[in-house]
Amino acid sequence: MSKASSRYRLGVDIGGTFTDMLMMDEESGQMITLKVPSNRQNPEDSIILGLSQLAERFGIGAKDIVYFSHGTTLGVNTLLERDGADVGLITTRGFRDILEMRRLRLSKANDLFVPRPRALVPRRRVVEVEERLAHDGEVLIALQRDEVIAAARQLLDEGVKSIAVCFLHSYRHDAHEAQAKAWIHEAFPELYVITSSELWPQQREYERCLVSVINGYIGERMRNYFDTLQVKAAAAGMTTRVFSTKSNGGVMGLEAAGERPVETLLSGPASGVIGAGFIGQVIGDDKLITLDMGGTSVDMAVIDGEVPYSNENTVGDFPVLLPAVDVSAIGAGGGSVAWLDAEGVLKVGPRSAGARPGPACYSRGGTEPTVTDAYAALGIMSPDGILGGEMKLDIDKARTALATLGDRLGLTPEQTADAILQVATANIYAELVPQLARRGIDAADFSLLAYGAAGPTHVFMLARELNMRRTIVPPTPGTLCALGCLVADLRADFVRSLWLESSELTDELLTRTYEGLRREAEGWLSAQGVEVTRTYLIQSADICYNGQSFELNVVFPDEPLSVAGLERWFHDRYEQLYGFADRANPIRVLEARVQIVGVTGKPDFTNFRPFATISDKPVSERRVYEHGKEVTAKICQRSTLTPGTEFFGPAVIEQYDTTVYIPEGFRVTVDAWHNLIGELLK
Amino acid sequence: MMDDKIGLEILGNRFQAIVDEMAQALFRTAHTVFIKETQDYGAVLVSPKGEVFAASRRYGVLMMVGMPMDDAIRAMREDIREGDIFMTNDPEATGGMCTHLNDVYLWKPIFHEGRLLCFAWTFVHMSDVGGRVSGSIAPSSTELMQEGIRIPPQKLFREGVLDEMFLKTFLVNTRTGDQNWGDMKACIAALSTAERRVGDLIGRFGVETVSNGIDKVLDYAETQARRVIATVPEGTYRFSDFIEADMVGQGMLRVNLALTVKGGEFHMDFSGTAPQVRAALNLPSFSKDGHWMLITGVVNWLCTREPSIAYNAGLVRPMKVHIPKGTLINPEAGAAYGARYSTSHKVCDVIIGALAKAVPDQLPATDSGQGSILLVALPDMETGATKVSVIQPIVGGSGGRPVDDGVDGTMVILNFLKNVPTELLEREMPEILIRHYGLREDSGGAGRYRGGTGSIIEFQTFAPYTTITSRNMERYIFPPAGRQGGTPGTTGYTLLNPGSKGEKDIGKIDILEMDVGDILRIGTQGGGGYGDPLSRPAQAVIEDVLDGYVSPRTAEALYGVVAAADGSLDAAATEALRAGKRASRDPLKEFDFGPVRDAYHARWPDAMHDAISEATQDLPRLQRQMYYRALYDRIDRMIDAGESVIAADVPALLAALRSAPRRAAG
Repeated sequence: MSKASSRYRLGVDIGGTFTDMLMMDEESGQMITLKVPSNRQNPEDSIILGLSQLAERFGIGAKDIVYFSHGTTLGVNTLLERDGADVGLITTRGFRDILEMRRLRLSKANDLFVPRPRALVPRRRVVEVEERLAHDGEVLIALQRDEVIAAARQLLDEGVKSIAVCFLHSYRHDAHEAQAKAWIHEAFPELYVITSSELWPQQREYERCLVSVINGYIGERMRNYFDTLQVKAAAAGMTTRVFSTKSNGGVMGLEAAGERPVETLLSGPASGVIGAGFIGQVIGDDKLITLDMGGTSVDMAVIDGEVPYSNENTVGDFPVLLPAVDVSAIGAGGGSVAWLDAEGVLKVGPRSAGARPGPACYSRGGTEPTVTDAYAALGIMSPDGILGGEMKLDIDKARTALATLGDRLGLTPEQTADAILQVATANIYAELVPQLARRGIDAADFSLLAYGAAGPTHVFMLARELNMRRTIVPPTPGTLCALGCLVADLRADFVRSLWLESSELTDELLTRTYEGLRREAEGWLSAQGVEVTRTYLIQSADICYNGQSFELNVVFPDEPLSVAGLERWFHDRYEQLYGFADRANPIRVLEARVQIVGVTGKPDFTNFRPFATISDKPVSERRVYEHGKEVTAKICQRSTLTPGTEFFGPAVIEQYDTTVYIPEGFRVTVDAWHNLIGELLK
Repeated sequence: MMDDKIGLEILGNRFQAIVDEMAQALFRTAHTVFIKETQDYGAVLVSPKGEVFAASRRYGVLMMVGMPMDDAIRAMREDIREGDIFMTNDPEATGGMCTHLNDVYLWKPIFHEGRLLCFAWTFVHMSDVGGRVSGSIAPSSTELMQEGIRIPPQKLFREGVLDEMFLKTFLVNTRTGDQNWGDMKACIAALSTAERRVGDLIGRFGVETVSNGIDKVLDYAETQARRVIATVPEGTYRFSDFIEADMVGQGMLRVNLALTVKGGEFHMDFSGTAPQVRAALNLPSFSKDGHWMLITGVVNWLCTREPSIAYNAGLVRPMKVHIPKGTLINPEAGAAYGARYSTSHKVCDVIIGALAKAVPDQLPATDSGQGSILLVALPDMETGATKVSVIQPIVGGSGGRPVDDGVDGTMVILNFLKNVPTELLEREMPEILIRHYGLREDSGGAGRYRGGTGSIIEFQTFAPYTTITSRNMERYIFPPAGRQGGTPGTTGYTLLNPGSKGEKDIGKIDILEMDVGDILRIGTQGGGGYGDPLSRPAQAVIEDVLDGYVSPRTAEALYGVVAAADGSLDAAATEALRAGKRASRDPLKEFDFGPVRDAYHARWPDAMHDAISEATQDLPRLQRQMYYRALYDRIDRMIDAGESVIAADVPALLAALRSAPRRAAG
């Protein structure tokens, strides 16, 4: 490694078990990956630990880093584990139960014992005040200062750390919310108060209210964490600013992140898709099905030219209204436990052994056979495990665990393992295919790109079932989220609910609405104080036919805004998707949306060299069980594979952050950027 | 490698993928509110014999495993060809596959090299299929002909060619022809998806494996169901409940069940259930074993016991049904069916009640029993056109469960229902102002596990001629029962102009006209409590009081929990109060129906109901309906007059009624 200078970009993804780091040398295009254990109590400590390892092992100091962006699961874990701060809620008289009523629907079907949902703010900390606006902003009942102050005082007496204010129709008419906030601020200057309209002014009171409540619930912990991280990173010698990833696949400065931590909830999965999209861009393939398989989860997304967004996302049982990269959870990952039901039928998951006790072969006390144990017993994963031998596997423990099932099935441990992988593959298939249908795409037109610790191990088995024309395993699949952090742009979304029929709209109103959103967006970008190479806006609207409830997000072409144009764009898009459009039917414009993107400087990838060293370790062989028979698989080190190399399965590619398994029937080539490109042989 | 124990799971998953993909394809291309908001559609795969071998557990209507498709298939038996698509909505021609005319079914045979392998099957609830009212369904309809156009099973496509004349005839008889055709196209897209995917599956595993797999997954589910059922102590368990048909002038309609558990099977004998009625409450089950609208309760129980259970018609094979012809749940031809949901839900309650006698700790206390959708229609005073919108689904709380409190504000059985944001409603219908939408405090039954609270909606109209309709309102008279010492929940109420001088308690509504400024307030039922309220941890009661789910008065009266002045637990006072209550109270009840229903039982013992059913059972349909009602009215008057009546008197009373001039009947 050459001498360090200020030219390194660092992406960090803090996961539940590991903190993944990806360091890129802007000059040489060389990349270094590193996984360090995550510290659940103090997530920033794992970053500091990683920095010291980078210095020790590669001679790169924190001061040499020019760009640092990271994502953390702190927010989402705080929410899922119900471990956040006490928030108080002030709302419109008659709507105290806005959080209790939810949208009624329960998460699980056919379950008489489905857990009773618990609101994030208990009823005792929700106070109604007399006030009411009509949908058009008319004041039906005026807001009273005394009542607002009394409500805030009551909540303070209950011990709340922050207050959310959510009144009906504030998405368009925020006067009452803003007034209430000002009065509370005046009376209790120390108290953190946030209104639903300032965070995300979209129609739908429950979801909007929830956004502001979650922001308060996870806010204190997130701000403390960001503060500590900045202090410790500075102490470690880092001089560059710190960025946080967002659910929308972009990044923001820590100041913005501290104000709006709710925007980070889904940033982990989003970063992975951004990383996948980046790989696609480099290799010129923009039609990708992404498969992220880790120890406890399997996620998928579809990139069809663009990274996809969804406005209907959930975290646990909570809907999250903010736009996020459209990622679907489709399974339980390598830790999924295999078991037999009372009829002796083999099942895999949904229960996961998680990180603790983990798969039996991890020697952390797990005794139940998992998918990872099946990889180990079949010879797919080396006893040396991954992470350069730091994470060894005990094959005997895997076999013992498998034998407990195998004895009952009348199968050997290897046959049992083989069966587990087939069932696991069928599980993922059954979850993935309907998701493709939901997005209206045909797998035949797409490539399958795998990442996560177990994605590359399993992806070819799935590719065979899906009949994929092309399977891609990027150079550092175990740290693709960190790559996503590193290449993400500054990105923010803004919304205004219109809910107007086209006849009620005027060109002037449209222009004014989008002007307002644009100013807000540009204000946000300049507040980030970051030099960007290019800025662009994506303007769109959610539109439906009047009287129908299916809405489409229509992205505007680069033309002047007009009502007639909007109608035409909607009909065109509708026809494109459904094959027909009723052009005589009036339309209704629901949400006006603007996304601003500040493109950050990207490293030059012409010299892209994912591996620090090309090891000269020779190619070896190992016995691997496949579909009931023993075969001889080639074992290669990923770092020895030079562009242009071609080989056939069965083969195992070992690398620092994962193991790639290529069964019989696939040809794999190594492309110019060190991606493995697999093709199913007919 | 398709060894049974492994191949079963793999094939089962692949079948599941096909139905989920069908459901997604259908959902994505359908465009009506029923599909999007109430998920009233379905997609399944059906064996050549007519058994559902794969059904979605996630999308659409989730109870389709017991859909009897045999008669619909038999109707076309002679002439099934590749490329055909069949269509029907007729309950009578399909032996109860369709249960009201709004559910329109489309299905397609799937062939492999000339051999019929299976059927792909879909349905959608259409917004309108004609008939006397817009939307086709009114509780007050008295016969099927009022509820829309009937399509007996026939071909929409013949070997790939659309029958345009037939299509046109159907659509022109409905008020929403374009939308209906749009939904039909969505079904057709889903059927094509299934055909392609079954083909892929055969390509991957071979036709024999797939064909045998269909039988095997069905047998597997049956084996699982039988094993779970076999854990229930054998015996006969009886339970009955009442549909409140007073709103359509039919009094209380009894649903009566004797559930016999034997040899891994449930035998459900519904003898003693009320005759069919001249209202849209009839459920055309044709007494089919395992019929989906009868067995919701048991299927939910099976899936709760065993979440990974295979989900197909094998589950319902051990569920045998006997229902006398001419009853509410097995009516003779021509009855009105539109609002059969109330009846189906009551059957579910009755089965849960009977099963709870056998395995008390595996079932919840009774839920609110009301799955109603509140609709508003307003005239446009300029054009005279009518605007229609959903105000809210109005459901009540779930019953307390042996493991957790009941869910507040909704029922576990109707888990898919979604409410409407107030902001959206007021934007769409500016004439309506929602004044209150939330939980109904202190309405859940008390118990070790509290019943879920009901909800309240209060709104005001600013438009003249505001018409409110609501079907399936229930439990305004008999509250949801408590169990194992838990107390009953609360009944529903409807108040017009509450708190004003003109306040009126108007009970269940069918159609209600409101005037400018009128306010309507509906309180839905709280679920029954489960287990002894005195054994609920005192602190949990205090928390409920602090959060307002339970009032301080109820905490003291029913839970024996006393709060100190600052709201915290007064442990000593609570201990003393609870000790006193334990010493003085009656034994805990297995079911607590509440005083109103207890009084009704005292007046109308089971033997009397049974005698009336038995006496009228063999009369011709119209006479049976008439004399059944007349007997209740006659006996009611006798009791009021202080005369003694016993079950044995019923045949003589009937004979007297029949010999009397018709004018005197009733």
